[in-house]
Amino acid sequence: MNENGNSSELKKDYWKSLADYDNDPGILMIKENEFLEGVTDDFDEAKLTGISRRRFIALLTASTAFAATACTDYREKGEIIPYNKRPEEIKPGIANYYASTCSGCSQSCGILVKTREGRPIKIDGNPEHPVNNGKICSKGQASILNLYDPERLKEPLISGRKSGWEIVDKEIISLLDNASKKNREIAIVTGKIVSPTVVKLLNDFKIKYPSTKIYSVTLVDDKIRSEAWFESYGTYNYPAIKFDEANIILSIDSDFLGNEGNFIENMQKYSIKREVVDKVNFNRLYVAEGRLSATGMMADYRISIDPDKQYQFVMLLAKEILKSGSAISLSSEVISRINNSKTDLKIDRRKLSYLLKDLLENKGKSIIYAGDTLSKDVHAAVNLLNEILGNTALYDFSRSFKSFIPYSKTEELMSLIDSMNNNKVDVVIHFDVNPLFILPDYFGYGSSLKKVAGTIALTESENETSSACKYVLPINNQLESWGDANLRAGIYNLQQPVIAPIFNTRQKESVLLTWLSGTASSYKEDLYHKFLISSFNDQIYSRIKNVSDQKTIWYSALHDGFVIFNEEMKRSDINQKAFLLSKELGENKSYTLHLTESYFIGDGRFANNGWLQEVPHPVSKVAWDNYASISPTLAKELNLEMNDVIEINAGEKSLNLPVIVQPGVAEKTINVELGYGRTVIGDVGNKVGFNPIVLITKYYDSSPFIITNISIKKTGEKYNLVSTQEHHSLDDTFVKDFHKIRNIIQEGTIQEYISDPYFLRNEKKEIFGITREHKYTGVKWAMSIDLNKCTSCTACVTSCNVENNIPVVGKDQVERGREMQWMRIDRYYSGSPDEPIVSNQPMLCQHCDNAPCENVCPVNATNHSPDGLNQMAYNRCVGTRYCSNNCPYKVRRYNFFDFRDHFADEYYQNNLTSLVNNPEVTVRSRGVMEKCTFCIQRIMEARSNAITEGRELKGTDVVTACQQACPTNAIVFGDMNDPDSKISKMREHNLAYHVLEELNVKPNVTYIAKLRNTQPEDN
Amino acid sequence: MKKTVLDYVLKIRLPLTLFVIATTFVLTYYISRPERDGLGYAPEQPIKFSHKLHAGTMAIDCQYCHTDVAKGRYATIPSVNVCMNCHTVARKDKPEIVKLTQYYEEEKPIPWKRIHKVPDYAYFNHSVHVNKGIDCASCHGDVKEMEIVSQVRQFTMNACLDCHREPHKNLPYLEKVNIGPDNCSACHR
Repeated sequence: MNENGNSSELKKDYWKSLADYDNDPGILMIKENEFLEGVTDDFDEAKLTGISRRRFIALLTASTAFAATACTDYREKGEIIPYNKRPEEIKPGIANYYASTCSGCSQSCGILVKTREGRPIKIDGNPEHPVNNGKICSKGQASILNLYDPERLKEPLISGRKSGWEIVDKEIISLLDNASKKNREIAIVTGKIVSPTVVKLLNDFKIKYPSTKIYSVTLVDDKIRSEAWFESYGTYNYPAIKFDEANIILSIDSDFLGNEGNFIENMQKYSIKREVVDKVNFNRLYVAEGRLSATGMMADYRISIDPDKQYQFVMLLAKEILKSGSAISLSSEVISRINNSKTDLKIDRRKLSYLLKDLLENKGKSIIYAGDTLSKDVHAAVNLLNEILGNTALYDFSRSFKSFIPYSKTEELMSLIDSMNNNKVDVVIHFDVNPLFILPDYFGYGSSLKKVAGTIALTESENETSSACKYVLPINNQLESWGDANLRAGIYNLQQPVIAPIFNTRQKESVLLTWLSGTASSYKEDLYHKFLISSFNDQIYSRIKNVSDQKTIWYSALHDGFVIFNEEMKRSDINQKAFLLSKELGENKSYTLHLTESYFIGDGRFANNGWLQEVPHPVSKVAWDNYASISPTLAKELNLEMNDVIEINAGEKSLNLPVIVQPGVAEKTINVELGYGRTVIGDVGNKVGFNPIVLITKYYDSSPFIITNISIKKTGEKYNLVSTQEHHSLDDTFVKDFHKIRNIIQEGTIQEYISDPYFLRNEKKEIFGITREHKYTGVKWAMSIDLNKCTSCTACVTSCNVENNIPVVGKDQVERGREMQWMRIDRYYSGSPDEPIVSNQPMLCQHCDNAPCENVCPVNATNHSPDGLNQMAYNRCVGTRYCSNNCPYKVRRYNFFDFRDHFADEYYQNNLTSLVNNPEVTVRSRGVMEKCTFCIQRIMEARSNAITEGRELKGTDVVTACQQACPTNAIVFGDMNDPDSKISKMREHNLAYHVLEELNVKPNVTYIAKLRNTQPEDN
Repeated sequence: MKKTVLDYVLKIRLPLTLFVIATTFVLTYYISRPERDGLGYAPEQPIKFSHKLHAGTMAIDCQYCHTDVAKGRYATIPSVNVCMNCHTVARKDKPEIVKLTQYYEEEKPIPWKRIHKVPDYAYFNHSVHVNKGIDCASCHGDVKEMEIVSQVRQFTMNACLDCHREPHKNLPYLEKVNIGPDNCSACHR
């Protein structure tokens, strides 16, 4: 650098100290010597201590050991910290139950929340509730995990930064004031509104801020059904269906037993006519569908039709039915329209003739029910057909589905988008809804939202919409909220908080009330509570015929979770013009894409719930993904197999996703489930599955969920779908009908059963044991599962998960077959790939009397109890897995990891999420085998109650978690030593059988063989 | 044959050493057993509450304070307001009661030291035992005579099973008593 090379003048770019910079001679000296002065001098041994290095270490070790033993008081057992003032209702160790209402979907089922020491641990149905009668679906059961989701929003955010409520409220109130002064639009976007109090609140809001407009958006729900009903009958309030009185049910692409409407209620009503125990009383279920749905699995006759041809199918039926007259007088236009309709459908004529015969023979006693995803045209035709058949007798107007604020029409939403684009909207409030995910790209909602100054999202956790909003306000979980719902006529449900807000969140309605008041400081915790009481007094109290005062009625309603009052929706005549306006779908030259809602994660709102992601799909048994299900014929045609990735093209949009070859799917149909593919969400649901909403290009041509003229092509890529059950090939002669040959599934038809009630037992082989019989005196536990009633809805599996602290293991572990669910529902196909007959069978520990698992355990960790339980002592288990190896039913689950620690970087291993655990059940750790215990904690609780009351324990005292959850009461549990008990009657039933009976393991779980209600001439 | 040092070590020194070690271990194991099981454990409590005075001299029933013992799993330690039922009036000026009142007024719970504890993963239920007529003293000792409560019986699986299997021997005051369950699920789940 410096040309003369004089070191003293050398200036440096990098220096350690000012002395260094100035080239201090001392520094130069130091740099020349490698070590500082004195560093390398010899030690003066005389000055060192006499303790050698070895002795020093010995002393150090000894003193540490002494210190360690002396300082810990190993007898110390911690502290017991009682309350200062114990709340009267809380008794440590004893659960409290609170009636409330589920807001997991719009159906508003009555729930009973179990709390222990003030924290909710389980959600069950409210047994007194007139709609769901003590049962609740998987989503409702598992929604308790959302309360303890570690990724819930904890503070209000402004532009992604933490803020406080007061600041946020102030800013928003001034925004609202400005907007209403300048008469610029304030848009409130909500989901379906089922609460009369929220309607009142929104009306008040409109009065305070007159430029407010309300928009109601949804993904599927009952949008098409209610709009079609409006066109046919002039009201959005459509009746419930009396499935319990129907002899013939025809489902047209409707999954009413699996995922549509209040399917819990539907299942209960349907199963009333699937009774075999006392008398045989059966309905006949026809399902005409393109995909294979949970309802389709139950069908006595399944007609496979592509969803775009359903209109033709209904017209074909109408044409044939009209030949034998009509229950209502039809206009000549309608008659000629029906008679001139095109009916060149390719369907099984034999099944069609059965169907027509049944419908004509059961006029007024049958029902035709169209699916939520079908177009208004099909619904209009079905409404008319039910009128022609006189099936309106099965409409239940006393329990009608009400509509408070109709869903926004496409045009209304488009005009909102236009206003946003033209800067006419000042504030958009997202009232716990995620339009950025559920509205198709077609709307361009996301880009329009950027042009709005005041974007507000009220949400429990971050989602696609909140990420695009300036103000993100955390709201209470349903278990922390007040609320009400009046979805069904005559039933008013109340929702009450069962825990104080865990984080700095607020009730979403209270937030609006604060803005309504105009001052940020007016917020109080009981703001909405008071509003709700006054709304109850105004709207409901007056309608209840009761002499008690308002306060008494309020508290009794709160206690029960609902009140019933007199409200009947008017029955009106059908507007036949609605049918004349309906039209057939345009010609489809190619494949049809059918989008349906996911069984477990709904419209995507439960995507961050690990329990729901891991519940296997009722049909395909795939967990943690969605996929395109295609027919075996199409698979052959395109040379596709499971896990092949295809590209689906619909117009300009395309989506790559893996396929599953699903027996039973109609030839040209491709079925994909909605709700997957969330992008802004917690770690659990992030990038799980694929989002088919992108494929919806034209919003309202017929139905957005049936997209015709799509093209597909094989990409050559592979994806990894994980399934909890092998997809055994139907073509393989070795495994074909294996479940029937080995008598795992035993089935028959009603005709067979009536002509010979012992038809199952005719070829009974003699089985002899080599061990001595063990005597069971006293109570002996047993279970029976009625396969006639099981719809494989999986509510039992989820209930068991929640009750028994079953961990989420994640997709990678499910792939290795390490899922931990104690129950599974096995699905078997028979028949041909195009027309499969499906059999379902819930499988859990059979608690065998001669349990093969017990005698191989080297440490006696699993053995038999005197009341017939195959018990498992976790702390004795050393994890040899011999038991699992020797179990013929494969129901034992092994903790390959401490799954709470292992799943997604300890996602559920935190102080918050562990609160969901049931304190009566051990949380199992790594290296331990586990399995169904027949809910031993519930048995012990019943036993202690019996002792407290000074009586003998009865079989009916115990209700297992799966039994409690089963919507159709297919599961019976009790004491088989009591000859009068229901369970002993079930065990002796003519249709009762044990799985793998010939092994002589003597299972204590009995299955009642399924009967199919086929036509007599079909046998 | 010539005796080497190795012989001496192998034949005498080593066995002797091993014997001494083994004996020490076994003796320590058995002698310290009650101590390790917590017998005589009497920690100092945050308030010098005397069971002897309350339950003994004044003969207040156990369940006046331990209210839920016949209803549920836990006997329950009384919350502070139960103490204050009497002590808002009784002996207000005594130093321990002043301490108590302070806890009450500051709305703080009292961190009592735990004395009795069944091993982990065992689910014990008080109500089942109490409702069968088993006296508190059978497990907790004569608390009525204890100035400071200490543990007098072992709370091991062995102790539980001993009584479950031979209730007549261990609970002679009960005329009608069944043998307690001794299957795993009775306690473990």
